[in-house]
Amino acid sequence: MHIPDGFLTVPVWAGLAAVSVPLVGVAARRAQGEAEENRIPLLGVMGAFVFGAQMVNFPLAPGTSGHLFGGALLACTLGPASAVVVMTAVLAIQALVFQDGGVLALGANVFNMALVGVVAGYLPYWLWGQGAGRDLAVATGGFLSVMASATLALTELRLSGVVIPPAALWLALGVFALNAVAEGLITLLVVRSLDRLHPGWIRRADAPRSAAVKTVLGASVALAVIGLAVASAAPDGLDRLAEELGISDRSRILWETPLSDYQARFLPPGWLQQAAAGLAGISLAGACVAAVAKLLSRRRSA
Amino acid sequence: MRHLVLEDWSRKESWLHARDPRAKLMAAVALLLAIGTSPAGSPSRLAGYALLLLAGVIIADLPVRGVWLRACVVLPFAGVFGVLAWLAGEPGRAAAVGVKSYLSAWTLVLLAATTPLPALLRGLASFGVPRFLLIVIQLLYRYLFVIAEQAHHMRLAAASRGGGFRLRSRQGWRAGAGAVATLFARSHARAEAIHRAMLARGYRGEFPLASPPRFGLGDALLSLWASAAAAALRLA
Repeated sequence: MHIPDGFLTVPVWAGLAAVSVPLVGVAARRAQGEAEENRIPLLGVMGAFVFGAQMVNFPLAPGTSGHLFGGALLACTLGPASAVVVMTAVLAIQALVFQDGGVLALGANVFNMALVGVVAGYLPYWLWGQGAGRDLAVATGGFLSVMASATLALTELRLSGVVIPPAALWLALGVFALNAVAEGLITLLVVRSLDRLHPGWIRRADAPRSAAVKTVLGASVALAVIGLAVASAAPDGLDRLAEELGISDRSRILWETPLSDYQARFLPPGWLQQAAAGLAGISLAGACVAAVAKLLSRRRSA
Repeated sequence: MRHLVLEDWSRKESWLHARDPRAKLMAAVALLLAIGTSPAGSPSRLAGYALLLLAGVIIADLPVRGVWLRACVVLPFAGVFGVLAWLAGEPGRAAAVGVKSYLSAWTLVLLAATTPLPALLRGLASFGVPRFLLIVIQLLYRYLFVIAEQAHHMRLAAASRGGGFRLRSRQGWRAGAGAVATLFARSHARAEAIHRAMLARGYRGEFPLASPPRFGLGDALLSLWASAAAAALRLA
């Protein structure tokens, strides 16, 4: 789901661009540093491969067909950093040459499909990709990749004030789930065929050894996907719950922060205020994630 | 590589084509920002943007109807959400979002139709986009039609064997997955051949960068005019 320009509000696209730009930079540096020396032509041609693979139709339901999106497949074959670079390049060409997805919205689309799509597609494989559970992990990766990208896009549209009636939301989530199941199956079938053609193309997953880390990571991914799906389908549910429990007045006081209601109080009103709040909120979340990642990696290397 | 009409358009000669890619990028972003932040319910302002874009198309000597048609790619997306908003009882807002996304697409078509992709990427490089990513994008674009044509040939071959990718069965899925895997293998082999060819031509792990052309008076004028017009329309 490529979001065109004109749909997202400034805080949403600017915030997501502020997150995507440094992360893609990190991925590019990592991909460049990886050992294989024919890396640059390989990544470029693999981007072209994604376009070609999307021309192959798979029968989904009578009258409709789906195609591979590719995030999970690239992550299992090229590794996550290179997959992020390739998917970013694909999205850039789609926006610049085919006007599929906007340029201001490119940060959001990269975040949904190149960053979250690849990471969600790689995580199950990374965690459980060795031994008997590999097939299930590959299929789950394909499913999560598409589901996470689609629900994120839906959430961003809703945050930007695009009106989507509840019935349409559920229908959309159903369609996304169908596409996500198809992506899981296609990814698995292609990985199996590649196994027969050239086993070396499927990267070995170097999972963290600690079972606790595995469980925490797995649970957080599952929670994030479920939470996103629920949040995008029923964003007012939490408010209603609070009202019914009679805690909404109290909670308002508890949550009276400088960023409440996505607006920074200390700035002139309007979109500038929203943008500042969005940026600050996202930087805060990014800092938390970075801190946790640093802690985890330090513990692993210790 | 003449598979896209945009390729032909971007190699025309006009005052707009001759401008520095950085100037055109700045102008396009200014216009996109103005369009994107315009509130709903200001048809005259949106008409102003449309006139500005139309002037650009005429200066660039592009076919007006062709550009309009190309910008229609956003209409399916805009249409779905427009219908949803209309059903929810907000027809004005639905129309505004649809028009805004169409004008944004128009801006992008004008940018891509006056700037060949290599020039556009060079412009992006001087705005700090990582070189590695830009080289990957350029290689992707170089081989995009080669690989797509290969996929098309495989599709034809399968169809002529009586198979095709539209079987409604497990067979269809197997065949499709096999086709994707074969395409993957061929792309891999092609990447290796490309790499050998690059080595043979003296590639040592560094891509020489064409020095950017001088940012002239006309370029400065274009970015200033476009930004000023966009800002004036937005704030009027």
